[in-house]
Amino acid sequence: MPDVTASTSDLLETQASLEAVLKDEILTMYQEVADNPDAEFHFFHGRAAADLFGYPSEWLDRAPEGAVNSFAGVGNPLLRAAIREGETVLDLGSGAGLDGIIASWQTGPTGSVIGVDLNPAMCLRAQAHAAATGTKIECHEGRMEDIPVPDGSVDVVISNGVVNLSFRKRRVVQEMHRVLRPGGRISITDIVSAKQLSQSIVNDPKLWAS
Amino acid sequence: MFRLLEESGFARVRSAVVPGFRFRKQSTQNSAEAYGVKAVMMTAEKPGG
Repeated sequence: MPDVTASTSDLLETQASLEAVLKDEILTMYQEVADNPDAEFHFFHGRAAADLFGYPSEWLDRAPEGAVNSFAGVGNPLLRAAIREGETVLDLGSGAGLDGIIASWQTGPTGSVIGVDLNPAMCLRAQAHAAATGTKIECHEGRMEDIPVPDGSVDVVISNGVVNLSFRKRRVVQEMHRVLRPGGRISITDIVSAKQLSQSIVNDPKLWAS
Repeated sequence: MFRLLEESGFARVRSAVVPGFRFRKQSTQNSAEAYGVKAVMMTAEKPGG
């Protein structure tokens, strides 16, 4: 009989190892976008991407240039979020802060926006960008698989091209459910695949991170 | 993702393709198309409230 315990243990060890490498790749990739917005990547970013996904020009003209130039989303989760004044919004994978800043304009001073990002430097950047427009984002360093936010404390979760980066998507979705108050909602944009990715892609953190 | 949301207790799960999404590099776009990769918008609600 095969040693199931050993093979499960090996699998978990391999996954933990890949996750650690993936974290480094994600940090490197998106720090690169933020630090070198004029560089070329295989995805659209900055104003070109935001224009492509239908962000109104009045939003982009009003937002800090640094937040717009570092934008690396895959769509516009704000289009269907229907954020109302006074609500608490969680931006999962808040990056340089563009979506969070726009959300904060919609919640107004009676609401709040919480950012969560793997990269503490990006959190600082998002907070600075928000402050530059006279608004506020409270950003926490953290992982989407263990969101550093209390149960039932959020009205809306937004995220943009982030969930696909996780090896543990079920866990991420369960975490989004946990932090939402009853009646709360999510509005996310992300990349999905109709076919099972090949093992060579799954095992390649550089490809996964992108 | 759609199924994960429903299995995790979300209701009124909706999805739509992000119009205009594509990768900048043609080689990446070609690989993405081979795997049926696309960008989607998803909304859902946590029941109650």
